[in-house]
Amino acid sequence: MQIYLPIAEISVNILTLIGMGGLVGFMSGMFGVGGGFLMTPLLIFLGIPPAVAVATEANQIVASSVSGGLAYWQRRAVDVRMGLILMTGGIAGSYAGVQLFKLLRELGQVDLLISLSYVLFLSIIGGLMLRESLHAIAATRRGQPLRARRPGAHSWILRLPLRVRFRQSKLYISAIPPLMIGFFVGMMSAIMGVGGGFIMVPAMIYLLRMPTNVVIGTSLFQIIFVTASVTILHSVENQTVDILLAFLLMVGGVIGAQFGAIVGQKLRGEQLRALLALIVLGVGVKLFIDLVSQPEELFSVSRMGLGG
Amino acid sequence: MKQNFRHFLMLALLCCSASLSAANANAIVADLSKDHISIKSNFAGEKLLLFGAVDTTQEGPIEDIVVILRGPGENFTLRKKQKKVGIWVNGAAYNVGPLPGFYAISSTRNVSEMAPQDELIKLGIGTDGLEVNFLSPTLDAVERAEAMAGFLRLKQARALYAQEQNGVKLIGGRLFRAEINLPSGMPVGTYVTEFFAFQNGRLVGYQTGELPVDIVGAGNLLHKAAYEMPLAYGVFGVFMACFMGWGVAIIFRRR
Repeated sequence: MQIYLPIAEISVNILTLIGMGGLVGFMSGMFGVGGGFLMTPLLIFLGIPPAVAVATEANQIVASSVSGGLAYWQRRAVDVRMGLILMTGGIAGSYAGVQLFKLLRELGQVDLLISLSYVLFLSIIGGLMLRESLHAIAATRRGQPLRARRPGAHSWILRLPLRVRFRQSKLYISAIPPLMIGFFVGMMSAIMGVGGGFIMVPAMIYLLRMPTNVVIGTSLFQIIFVTASVTILHSVENQTVDILLAFLLMVGGVIGAQFGAIVGQKLRGEQLRALLALIVLGVGVKLFIDLVSQPEELFSVSRMGLGG
Repeated sequence: MKQNFRHFLMLALLCCSASLSAANANAIVADLSKDHISIKSNFAGEKLLLFGAVDTTQEGPIEDIVVILRGPGENFTLRKKQKKVGIWVNGAAYNVGPLPGFYAISSTRNVSEMAPQDELIKLGIGTDGLEVNFLSPTLDAVERAEAMAGFLRLKQARALYAQEQNGVKLIGGRLFRAEINLPSGMPVGTYVTEFFAFQNGRLVGYQTGELPVDIVGAGNLLHKAAYEMPLAYGVFGVFMACFMGWGVAIIFRRR
């Protein structure tokens, strides 16, 4: 059954969309990562204009992070003060990101910005995940327990001025690093249509040295507000949020995520993580090949005044 | 079936009226299977039937018929990719227009055999007859032709531009019918239909009409809201997302 998407202005099979939402939601529930960095490229491969894919996916992530974040909130596994500071940086970053997006859209280069950002981040994340999961697999084969590595602290950054006490995280650190991390992730969120948890979570653990039990809850908490800000800013500046598309993705996504979480608790992770890493790398490689190979059609057309 | 029968009746009526008014005036009468196109949420494209009747003149029966469906004119930005440091990026941008966002032409035979080329261009028949203004920048003839060919390829690939040389079927030398595919990505606005009848290279009949194309229903509401009150639209999107996320989390907690 086809459905006409009023902002993307194309007809897409409704079951394909719900199925894609379900699959990506399932994977994100199972691995505890937001699905944005897989869903946005999939939407682009499906023929949704990249600018619409990014803005709409930000809207969907609001739903998945509310749904996922609620459990952490009830368990009080959220450092609200840290979340608010990250969010402040994040909202500023999302504003900067949307402005950059709008500028490049007018110059006809926004698709390039999106593709390049994805190639860069997917290859880094996929590569790191693959390495980590292969190490873990090798370690279990040898029967050794895996030692969690914590790289040396860059403690001078945390001793910058504007120090704030974070009771929940048992930290007394400068507000500048979380503001900057928030800003960077907010900008990524606006440009790539992701929540940015895959950058935020390691940054919280290794840079801010937050205890792991509050990391995911706090990350989800701030993602809700940052992706909400991205959704509203893209609606106002670019008119690229397709609410109908977002709704269909949410239907599949939030339900898939719940089942994924149930399955994820029962399954052993390393092999699956290696698989996810390969999928992430595969998507990155596909985007890279699209960038470097000569396109069949050199021309592209859009209504005047609208970039992508 | 019922609709086909209705069309048959209409054709029969048209045929009678055509014979009555045969006195050298307009040699073609025509109509469409629909008086407007509504793009609903489940719109996956549809077929538009264009039909009518032609007279027989002193020179004999009319055999050359052309039908055109033309979408509203818009300005477009065409971009050409070029290789820069190993990757293909958008380079030169040309603004062209106004050009129809939709253009379908169907005829009984190759239009170039019906009338001289300059006559066809004057009547706006065929994509060669589209008047192209390069708004910016100024280009030489080769670049223009290349850009225009690119534009036509892109529109044809999305079925927004179509040409069928044998799409108009003549029935019994009097009645004709043609089908035009309306793809799901068709732009909205007021479309223009044109019907031409040629005989021995001369235009002997012409009729034109309008066909409004609108998005209707929930899709229309969302489309309008997105462009006319974008802030409220964005806030609505966020609330919907919060509600969905919260609702699903509650439902699954109960299990």
